[in-house]
Amino acid sequence: MELKNLSIRQLNNLFLEKKTKPSELYSDIFDTSASSESLLHAHLSLFEEKNIDNAKNSDKRYENGESTGLLDGIPIAIKDNINIKGELTTCSSKMLSNYRSPYNATVIEKLNNENILYTGKTNLDEFAMGSSTENSAFGLTKNPWNTDYVPGGSSGGSAASVSARSSIGALGSDTGGSIRQPAAFCGLVGFKPTYGTVSRYGLIAFASSLDQIGPITKNVDDARIIYNAISGHDSLDATSIDSNQINIPFDKSAKIGVIKELMEDGISDESRNEVSKVLESLKKEGYQIKEVSLPLIKLSISIYYLIAPAECSANLARFDGVRYGLRVEGKTSYEMMQNTRAEGFGDEVKRRILLGTYALSAGYYDEYYGKALRARKKMIDEFSNIFKDVDYLISPTTPTAAFKAGEKTNNPLEMYMSDLCTIPANLAGLPAISIPTGLSEENLPLGVQIMSKPLTDMSLLSFSEVIEKEVDFDTSPKGLKK
Amino acid sequence: MSDFDIKNIAKLASINLSAEEQEKLTNDLSIILEHVQALSSLELDTNMEDVFIHPLEKELKLVEDIEIDSLTHEEALSNAPESKDGKFVVPPSME
Amino acid sequence: MNLKPTIGIETHIELNTNTKMFCRCKVVDTDKPNISLCPTCIGLPGALPVPNGKAIEYITLLSLATGCTITRKGMFHRKNYFYPDLPKNYQISQFDLPVGESGELQIILDGKKESVEIERVHMEEDTGKSTHSGTGRIDSATSTALDFNRSGVPLVEIVTKPVIQSAKEAVAYIEELRQLSIDLNISEGKLEKGNLRFDANISVAPSDSNELGIKVEIKNMNSLRSLERAIDYEISRQTKAYLDGEEIIQETRHWDEARELTSSMRSKEGSADYRYFSDPDLPNMILSELFIEDIRNNLPKLPSEKRNDLMETGLDLDQANILGKSDNWIRELYFNVFDNTKEHSSTYNWITGELQGQMRKLDINFPPEWFSAELLSEIIGLIKENKISFTSGKTILSEVLQKNISVDEVATNNDLYQENSEEKIVELVKKVIIDNEDIVERIKEGEDKLVGFLVGQVIKNSGGSVNPGIAKELLSKELDL
Repeated sequence: MELKNLSIRQLNNLFLEKKTKPSELYSDIFDTSASSESLLHAHLSLFEEKNIDNAKNSDKRYENGESTGLLDGIPIAIKDNINIKGELTTCSSKMLSNYRSPYNATVIEKLNNENILYTGKTNLDEFAMGSSTENSAFGLTKNPWNTDYVPGGSSGGSAASVSARSSIGALGSDTGGSIRQPAAFCGLVGFKPTYGTVSRYGLIAFASSLDQIGPITKNVDDARIIYNAISGHDSLDATSIDSNQINIPFDKSAKIGVIKELMEDGISDESRNEVSKVLESLKKEGYQIKEVSLPLIKLSISIYYLIAPAECSANLARFDGVRYGLRVEGKTSYEMMQNTRAEGFGDEVKRRILLGTYALSAGYYDEYYGKALRARKKMIDEFSNIFKDVDYLISPTTPTAAFKAGEKTNNPLEMYMSDLCTIPANLAGLPAISIPTGLSEENLPLGVQIMSKPLTDMSLLSFSEVIEKEVDFDTSPKGLKK
Repeated sequence: MSDFDIKNIAKLASINLSAEEQEKLTNDLSIILEHVQALSSLELDTNMEDVFIHPLEKELKLVEDIEIDSLTHEEALSNAPESKDGKFVVPPSME
Repeated sequence: MNLKPTIGIETHIELNTNTKMFCRCKVVDTDKPNISLCPTCIGLPGALPVPNGKAIEYITLLSLATGCTITRKGMFHRKNYFYPDLPKNYQISQFDLPVGESGELQIILDGKKESVEIERVHMEEDTGKSTHSGTGRIDSATSTALDFNRSGVPLVEIVTKPVIQSAKEAVAYIEELRQLSIDLNISEGKLEKGNLRFDANISVAPSDSNELGIKVEIKNMNSLRSLERAIDYEISRQTKAYLDGEEIIQETRHWDEARELTSSMRSKEGSADYRYFSDPDLPNMILSELFIEDIRNNLPKLPSEKRNDLMETGLDLDQANILGKSDNWIRELYFNVFDNTKEHSSTYNWITGELQGQMRKLDINFPPEWFSAELLSEIIGLIKENKISFTSGKTILSEVLQKNISVDEVATNNDLYQENSEEKIVELVKKVIIDNEDIVERIKEGEDKLVGFLVGQVIKNSGGSVNPGIAKELLSKELDL
């Protein structure tokens, strides 16, 4: 079996048994991207040259029995809204096309300690705003299963790369589903951790109270390994927490809930079927399943599309041409800022900034933003109640499989509606994972989402593995020409 | 929503919009805000005092007043579009 | 018609913490631009704020010292506006839940105690510094240069209620606030360095009215002198406008130091919409009962308490106020000397007058280490007992400030001890009377002034060691005056 199809643990074993070396895997990976990149455009920048020495050092460590852990020598792709010191961090935006970060994100410091090898930075929807990667200022990314289709977003590049095997795993970020949805569209595992268990320091903020960094991988175990490496309290992030885990059962004594409102209209039959399939096999194993109701979920999109734009309108105010990034001249500073922001931001970003500005403006705060905060609190309380009765909640990850490029770009609301299943986990800070379970009629992947209560990340991963084993999904994209 | 003034919002957000952009965005935002009405008109028994900033309702941890070295002068200015004598330079700013 | 002015003052105090409010960059005082920076204080993408615990302690100290109620479940807000010296184009501040609310500050005005009510005390971060090049005037600059060393420095904003009634009161308030922040050790209190900055809100209304007039904000007052002048100017400007029937516009005006007037700044259409919302990067700040009590127990003596202690020794309010504002060693010296001599007036005069004067002459900021309260007490005691003259006392003080020498040694070496024995003085008096028959004649004929001349002669003949008071007394007796 080709190296690039193996899991992290399998690769680490081969390295330890000296059956192969990190530099071999490394060239394998870069051979793949040499062909896949021109087709898929998953990466914005490739680090091949930069890491040759690092790969050789990794070889030496394994040779001398001094390897530093499971991730030593493993090629990982990084979404281009995460800062790597000395490298461009563009957020797929004209605003930052020339921005070279002078510091590392905390997750990068941690991965550096693990001696991973970076394949490069991957494409995303501009500033992580979007669900298809079509909002990138630097071109589309294509879905490896069928290049007419989108890979999802905003972490589309990361998902496409892992799927196409131009990396072993990738980091993405998730604000309303941006890890889970592209993972589902590309037939991969996508994991959004409990809010606060992974540091946001160095992640270019979209919506501060919703953003989390997480892994996109070929299997659950790989996601677990990466999560363990990047999680932990960070004194540079005041919202980060100790990831002291709460253990809940994942064997058949665990209670499973199905969210009624996420199995109704707005969700395609195909997606619902995937959930039913999984539930069937769990029932066979002896798990108890019950239906639960969370009516407020129907308003998730409204709540999200007031809170996220409001926060982002302030988070993106710093992009003004003064200290870094694009500058378009003006006679006065004000003019310069207005011109710079007009040219630097794409349409979707402008839309969200203006929506957020409005939601916070004088006279409208209570009606919009204030209301959304209160509704969010209510949803948090309702989830809390539900988790007294059930351990895991299962739902589709997305209403449909991937759509064609250009299909949804006319109506912003239509695009937003596709986040219905994933948004609630961000609003409530819950850990949530998408596992690939089957294919649509058009042979595009479909995923099932599992959520659990805050700080049960490890149990959630273990439970996901149970399902993964049952389903036995082949993550190699059928469509990709080798 | 009838007094949705795109020009004023764009000014607050410091973005220069062309006439077409103004029109398109007014349209887009109206559609979105219409969808959001269901939430605005909802009666909620949760008060602002109940709301916590952190979704897991965590408290702020205060940090010790101890210096940590960070960026060098050169690093801080490394991406400056314009600088002179160690300062960032911009067109004149009015009060 | 009588108009009365109403003034409210907004003060920003720079805290003298080691590091900035939301990052661990060192707070620096330097001309070298942009040398104490990190991703957070220059607003790099991906940076996050982390709060300085010491700054929170300091603002809690100040809030408790002004009797404010402390907010238990607090939060920070983003105040959103675009300006080049504000790296994130929002300032982290506090909106409706400031750390402290509803307090007061005791001030001394015209020799009396007054109380200024405080509306709120809240935490925020400072901006960078802009330098406009070109002619130096903002409206004809050709470019603006930015230094972010100051960006993120902790600022406490204190807002009074609109209760101040004169420029003098405003100055007394700032002086008191400044002293308090120095005593609490939370700020250096140097106005010339911008450690304290203030804006004033001024309105006028008929004296018998319960409502306040149109409020005008005055900015750019860089010293107490400009504060006083600006307020006085603005009060008369508004008064004249009111009486002339002219409209007073609610606006922000700029104090022009050179032309000594307030002028309208470029007016913005409507008031700013800052779109305050709770900062999602900073969870709720819960200040526990324990935390607050701990800080309360560490409150040092407040200026008002110091004044009371001083007045208990017999000083009046103005004297107590002056010593209260002096360096700690001066006050300590006062109390120690007072304990020895029980003479509040002389002790006060010697310390604030002669001692300070001589130290200035010697160009020293502190008395030498051998200088003690005992030395000064001795000098004061000797004068009180008429053993030396006041002038001799000054001489002795000068010596002991320059040399580690005893008071007695100086007095002896310089022959400063006064002759006090009546017998001896009578002898000298009698001799002078015999030697100055003609003067004595004139005195007996009514020229009393000449007594002084004879006293001088007695002192001269004694070699300066006779107590003038006693000499005069005995002389008068001998002459039967």
